[in-house]
Order: sequence, then structure tokens, then C-alpha cells
Amino acid sequence: MSGKVDLSVDFCGVKFINPFMLSSSPVSNSAEMVARAFEAGWGGVAYKTIVTDRIPIIHPSPRMHGYHYGDKRLVGLQNVEQTSDRGLKANLLDIMYLKKHYPKHVVMASIMGFSNQEWYDLAKAVTDAGADMIELNFSCPHMTVEGSGAKVGQVQELVQKFTETARKASNLPLVAKMTPNITDMNEPAMYAKMGGADGISAINTVRGISEIGLDDWVPRPNVYGKGAISGYSGPAVKPIGLRFIAEMALNEELGLPLSGIGGIETWIDALEYFLVGATTIQVTTGIIHYGYRIVEDMIEGLSDYMVSRGISRVEELVGKALPHLVETDEFDLESQGITNYDLDRCVGCGQCYIVCNDSAGQALEWDEENRRPRLIEDKCLSCMVCSFVCPVEGLITYKPMPKGWKRQETVTLGKELESQLKL
Amino acid sequence: MKYADSFKEMEDKGFDIGQAVAEANRCLLCYDPPCSKGCPAETDPGTFIRKLRLRNVTGAIRTVKTNNILGGACGVLCPTPLLCEKECSATEIDRPIQIGRIQRFLIEHSWELGFQPLERAGEKKKEKVAVVGSGPAGLSCAAELAKDGYQVTIFEAKPKPGGVLRYGVPSYRFSEEFLDREIEDVKSLGVEIQCNHPISGREGAEKLLKEGYSAIFVAPGLWEPMRLKREGKELKGLFTATDFLASLREGKHDELGKEIDGRAVAVIGGGSVAIDCVEAAKRLGASDVYLVYRRSFAQMPAEERERIEALQTGIHFLLLNQPVDYVESDGSLKGLKLVRTKLGEEDASGRRRPVEIPGSEWVLDVGVVIEAIGSKPASDSKEWYPSVKTNEKGLIVADEETRKTNVDGIFAGGDIVRGPALVVEAVQDGKLAARAIKEYLSK
Ligand SMILES: Cc1cc2nc3c(=O)[nH]c(=O)nc-3n(C[C@H](O)[C@H](O)[C@H](O)COP(=O)(O)OP(=O)(O)OC[C@H]3O[C@@H](n4cnc5c(N)ncnc54)[C@H](O)[C@@H]3O)c2cc1C
Ligand SMILES: Cc1cc2nc3c(=O)[nH]c(=O)nc-3n(C[C@H](O)[C@H](O)[C@H](O)COP(=O)(O)O)c2cc1C
Ligand code: SF4
Repeated sequence: MSGKVDLSVDFCGVKFINPFMLSSSPVSNSAEMVARAFEAGWGGVAYKTIVTDRIPIIHPSPRMHGYHYGDKRLVGLQNVEQTSDRGLKANLLDIMYLKKHYPKHVVMASIMGFSNQEWYDLAKAVTDAGADMIELNFSCPHMTVEGSGAKVGQVQELVQKFTETARKASNLPLVAKMTPNITDMNEPAMYAKMGGADGISAINTVRGISEIGLDDWVPRPNVYGKGAISGYSGPAVKPIGLRFIAEMALNEELGLPLSGIGGIETWIDALEYFLVGATTIQVTTGIIHYGYRIVEDMIEGLSDYMVSRGISRVEELVGKALPHLVETDEFDLESQGITNYDLDRCVGCGQCYIVCNDSAGQALEWDEENRRPRLIEDKCLSCMVCSFVCPVEGLITYKPMPKGWKRQETVTLGKELESQLKL
Repeated sequence: MKYADSFKEMEDKGFDIGQAVAEANRCLLCYDPPCSKGCPAETDPGTFIRKLRLRNVTGAIRTVKTNNILGGACGVLCPTPLLCEKECSATEIDRPIQIGRIQRFLIEHSWELGFQPLERAGEKKKEKVAVVGSGPAGLSCAAELAKDGYQVTIFEAKPKPGGVLRYGVPSYRFSEEFLDREIEDVKSLGVEIQCNHPISGREGAEKLLKEGYSAIFVAPGLWEPMRLKREGKELKGLFTATDFLASLREGKHDELGKEIDGRAVAVIGGGSVAIDCVEAAKRLGASDVYLVYRRSFAQMPAEERERIEALQTGIHFLLLNQPVDYVESDGSLKGLKLVRTKLGEEDASGRRRPVEIPGSEWVLDVGVVIEAIGSKPASDSKEWYPSVKTNEKGLIVADEETRKTNVDGIFAGGDIVRGPALVVEAVQDGKLAARAIKEYLSK
């Protein structure tokens, strides 16, 4: 069985049996839930963000909205959920319980203070409760409490200050969780590092509006007649998460271990995060969609992949895509190619013809009688849009052309049209 | 070669990866998946479809192959609308997930990838186990034991392994190539198959126990055809389904074609085997093919899908007619004597009994008749397992959970225990027996 592969990793000096974690959210809300997740195979948890009891937390209702696309469900998820609404004591007891029963699993307590003192108190409390590490939540984009969450993550000085405070209260590894709702994540990440952070996790949810009711004009979720710009997550945000992790991994000055979050459902998604520099990954929406069981497929899929590639440690995969990641001005523009059509398998739908005509190089002619496209090779722009709509897998592929090959000049107005212009 | 052409390839091409994933995407990923409960061999479709859905393709292959060494054959041949797909929750929304085709895809895909999910046991155990018969039951039992390092030898009477999969099911439903690849998966676990090696003679099977085998799994299937006339007539133009289908698999298309092409053919029986015969006769060029059955359409044991397909291909269903004898001249068959029937009370099988209508005899003008009215244990079989208890039908009596017979160390399964059953049930018997054999040997 694939169980033979050792998937353990070291993240901020903490040993994980595997790099798969629940991210801080309803999926990690209580010890009972987390215990079931551990039994299912998850290696660690970022426990649902803990706050002090000073300000009671009440979640809006309903607190989530599922964004479906065609018959594909939950390509995105919008939520207005707050931090944990459970009492501090209950959460601390849960952490103690988990550490007692699952000493080999990693419990990272996520905390959020509403004042400097609270950051101190919470860091100290979760350390005393036995957590293995602490995640500093600088990133919830829709807190109803003034001056908290992503509001902090967008003010660099506060990131540094609260990290320093937590550092004073605890010797545990500190991981700063970042909001993607900024231009450059490296800036706050550097401030977190200066404050004493040992690692960075990203991304939290992306501020967005996923849908609006057509009858009531209320953005979803509709909380009694009102909607809000709020946290968007799930498969749709994966490209954004990969980008931020890659940017931080490329920043040598930062040089901190990274935990990748955002749109992970399968071992392939997780692997992509490793390849751009994450050492652990965290999941929420994937679990909201399928349950804890998806970790079985992450473990098995990644293990089989590693065996097939002769890779023995996850660490060997971390950052492996980065050498291939460049600025666009570094591309070799001399090398050009076109599409290749395997017309024996064509079903004659003609979608390629439509999109090439309306959004690309007008490089296809349509053979009406046989219902087949015909490619004018030197007009093909190699944008590949035809391959995106072709219903037959692998019928349209990319073909590199020999050096020196040139495509036709872009279309100019013909003589006749030109003559109609009154210049 | 013209006859052979229509028997060459499997007609159903199966899914490609895009189609398989699209179908898996329709799956509701149920809690406590009902489809998994519907599989007689515990192949666990709920898990392998989820794995495919979550892009853990190798894991999905592993699930099928670990649970069902003939996962490919079952994917092709299982009457899924009566098994896993019958339980599918998606039926409530529109139509069931095509579980069989996904399963078949996964196995074909494993061959394409060169991915072998089962590993040969690291350490060989000292115990040797003998398996009689290389049909699905024997193959499954052997694979299950070999995975754990037991040394298994299958003894097979025929020249090639596979049982009904090789010498029964027509090749356009299940090809030789597909079967060979799947048997290769069994062999790769270290199973030895000795063909042309019938177990026979006095106490043949029981002797194996004294010759160094610690346990025996008996799975010879049912190969003796039941006959319309007790004396079992020899007539030119008269076939049993067993011989007819086996000849096709042995490549005797031209020989059969010569006898059938252009003639009217009657097939007697209402089960799946009869359907295979009418279909094959049609392909061999029969001018008219009659399916003669003594009850009505609704009572036919053949699957509904098959029956409807046969009707659509132009088979004449001659229902409520009881064959009674043959018309012959000079040793050749000239016609089939029939009596009309009507339906009476329910019989033990829960179907209404055919009652002959007196004076309604008539003769159906046909040159060929194929009897597909069932099969039974070989008449000499009791000779080679004399102490093993059998029932009134000659079937071996074996425990439902362990497939143990009354003789210590002898286990039995597949059709020889169940009577005519399914590939997937034979696979399950092999698994059950293997489990019990392991327990028996570790004592
Ligand atoms: C024509 C036909 C079509 C069918 N189609 C389907 C289908 O589509 N789907 C489905 O699920 N089921 C189908 N079945 C039923 C299915 O094939 C059987 O239930 C299944 O093959 C039983 O497996 P088995 O291992 O018990 O026996 P078999 O497959 O009969 O194998 C027994 C093997 O033992 C060998 N043997 C017998 N005696 C000896 C001996 N003395 N020494 C050594 N070897 C011996 C035989 O040669 C044979 O190879 C079909 C059956 C027939 C006849
Ligand atoms: C309903 C919901 C509640 C969340 N609550 C928290 C939280 O309390 N603390 C936190 O750090 N992140 C929280 N998140 C963000 C997730 O931990 C995660 O960063 C984000 O959803 C992106 O990952 P995903 O695409 O796997 O869901 C929440 C997300 C959702 C959907
Ligand atoms: S998932 Fe459970 S808690 Fe949430 S709305 Fe449905 S029933 Fe209520």
C-alpha cells in the first residue's frame, strides 16, 4: 500500500506526520470534530480562531452562501462567519483534550485579540493549554468588531506590534496568517517577521461579492435584507493563494516556512502549493464540500505520485516550481507555435470555428459539407482558445514551430474598407 | 474469416478518462454509500468513485483491484441495474451513475498507465493451496491467498484459464484480450495455473490433501448441459448452448457459420445464456432466430435490458410455447415440436407456472436448434470429491460465510455451490473461501 511513503514534514521546528491540516474555520471548531479529523488522517489543525470572552461573538444568519457554476457545486463559498463563538474556557479545554489524546498530531491555536493586552493573554492561555504552535489571525475580512481581523493585516505596524506581544507571552512557534486583500503580501509578512513570527500562512478569504438576489437585489448571503462584501474561498481562489505563497517563497529576505491555504480539495492542489513553496497546507472549503474523508485521497494520491517520481520526502517538492517562475519579460519570444488538430476524432461541433473567428486569429475555415474546421497555419495565434472549448479530450494540442517560422501579419483593413474612411 | 469478424472486438468501447471523470462528477458521494452495499463482492464503488472524483486515480484503481481481482470483468459483465446501480441515490434525481463502466475504465486505465496496485507478497508462506477450476471463483480465491504469500496452484481442465469468461460469454461482450490481461494480474501475484489438468478419478480432489496441499478450493462450475430429451439426442443441427458458445470461443466460426447461415434457428430457454445464443446465431447469418420460451416475457430470467435489445435486433420471441420433441429425417433436424401453454399458479420460484394446452401441438420449421435450458455439475464430479456433501441438484453444500464443505480442508464456491449465478458472486465466494482458508491454516 501507499501508506509506506513517509509524508512527515518539519514546519517551524514542529514535526507533522503529514502536511495536511484543517484550517481555522467551522471545520476545526471543537475537539470532538478535530478528533474525528485526526482519525480520518489529517496531520494537524489550525484550531478555529479563539478570542477572549470580553466581547460576545454572534454570527450573522445565514452565515454562508454557496457559489455554484453550472452543475458544478461550490466552486466558491462566501461567508460572514466570525471567530469562535465558544467560551474561551471551552476552547482551552478542547485543546488540552486534543493534545492529551493525539500527542503526535499538531494543534496550532489560532487567536485574535481585540487589543494588545488580549493578544498577550490569548497567546499565554493557549500556550498553557498545551498547543504546539500559535497562528495569529491578522486576516479575517469581515469582523463585526471594530479594528480587528484584516483591518490589522492591512496596517503593517500593528502586525509587528501584535506579533511582538505574542512573542513575549509565548515561546511557541508563531505563524502569522495573512489577508490576500492587499497588493503585496511580502510587506506585512516582513513586519510579522520583525515582530518575531516563525512562519506565514496564507491566504485567508478574499473579499468579494459572489451573487446578488435578482428579486431582492441583496448580495448573498442575504442576512435579513442586507449583504456585505465578505470572505470568498474555495477552488475559485486557488490561483490567488498560489500566487501569494510563490511571491513570499521567492523573497529571500523573508525566508520563513509557509503554510498554503486557499481552494485545496485534492492532492494535486496540495502538491501545487508545495511546488510554489508551502511546507504544510490547510483546508476549509474542501471539507465543507466533501467532509474530512478527502484527506484519504490526499495521502494516497500524493504518496502514489511520490513513488512514481522516486521522491521520498515532501520537502524535496517544496519550491520546485519556483526556478521555472519568471517575470513575463524573460520569456523567449523567438519560439513560436500553432495548434495541431487531430481531425480523425473531430465530432463536428464547430465551436473552435466560432471562438477563433470571434476572439482570436480567424485562422479557421469551416468545411460546411463535412462539418470540419480547416486550419490556416500561419494565421494561428497559438492563444489556444479553440482547445478550451473542444469537447474531445486532446484533439487540439500545441505544436512548436521551427525557429524563424513567421505567422501572417495581423489583419489590416482591406482596400475597400479603407477607401470608405473619410480621413 | 467473414463470420469471425463480427465476433472480434468488444462492442462496448468503455469510457475514456474524460467520460469517466464526468460520470464520477455526477456521483452524490453519499454517506454510507448504498451502491457499495449493492455489490455482492464488496468492490466498494462508493469509495473508488469518490477517489476518482478527488483525482486520486491510482487510489481508485487500488480500491477496485484490492477488493475485486476481476474488477474489469465485473465492470463489463455485471448486471449492474440489478446490483450496485440499483441502489444509486442519483436515480432519484435522474439516472444512476454508470458504476460498471467507471469500474471497467479504472482497470483499463491501470493497464494503460502500467500501474499495478497489488504487490506480490514479500515473504512466501510454506502452505500450499490447490484450486480446482480457473473460473472467476477459482481466480479470485487464488489471488486473495497469493496476496498473503500462500503458494497457490490452480488446476484447470481446459487448455486456457477463465472458465465461462473464456468458453462461455461471447467475445463481442468480453474479449479474449481483456480476459488475458486480467488473468495476467492474477498471475503476477505468483499464482500458478496448470491448464489441461483436469482433476478426476477416484477421490481426485481429496487426494490433493494428502499430496502436500493444506487446503483445496473446489470451483469447477456447471458444465454439463441439461437436455430437453433425457436420452440427449445426437442430431445434425442440434446444439447445446454450452457446446455452441464454447465452439465460438474456440474460433470455429466458419464451421458453425456453414450450419447456421441462411437457416432458421430456434433457441430454447429464457435466461441470459439463451440471449447470448440468439445474438450469436444472428451474427452467424441465421435467416430467422426464434427464442422459444414456455412462460411469458415477464417471467424470463434474462435481464430486462438484454431482452429488449434482443427484441430490437429482430429476434422473434416465441413465448408460451413448450418444446416437446424434434422432427428429424436422416439424422438431421427438420423442425421443433411445440405445445402452446398458458400461465397457471405461481410455482416455487414465484413465477407463474406454464400449463400445456391440450391438443395445441404444432411444428416450428427450423434447421437448427440450440438448447439453452440450464447446466448442472459434471456427472463424474462426485467421483473426484466423493466425501463432499451435495444436495438434490448435485450442488455442493458449503457454509454461506466461510464456503467450508463438510470435509475438513475442502472449501467450495461459485456456480458449483450456488447453481447458475454471476461472475461477481463467484468472485465473492473466492474471497470468502480465501479468508476462511487463511483462518483454517493459521490454526
Ligand atoms: C454463456 C454464459 C454467459 C454468462 N454471462 C454472464 C454475465 O454477463 N454476467 C455475469 O455476471 N455472469 C454471467 N454468467 C454466469 C457466470 O459466468 C458464472 O456464474 C461464473 O462464471 C461462475 O464462475 P465459477 O468460477 O464458479 O465457474 P466457471 O466459470 O464455470 O469456471 C469453472 C472452471 O473449472 C474448470 N473445471 C471444471 N471441472 C474441472 C476439473 N474436474 N478439473 C479442473 N478444472 C475443472 C472448468 O473448465 C472452468 O474453467 C454467464 C454464464 C454463461 C454460461
Ligand atoms: C465559514 C468560514 C469561517 C472561517 N473562519 C476563520 C477563522 O475563524 N479564522 C481564520 O483564520 N480563518 C477563517 N476562515 C478562513 C479559512 O481558514 C481559509 O483561510 C479560507 O477559507 C481559504 O481556504 P479554503 O479555500 O480551503 O476554504 C474561515 C473560512 C470560512 C469559509
Ligand atoms: S449543515 Fe447542519 S447546521 Fe448547517 S444549516 Fe444544515 S443542518 Fe443546519
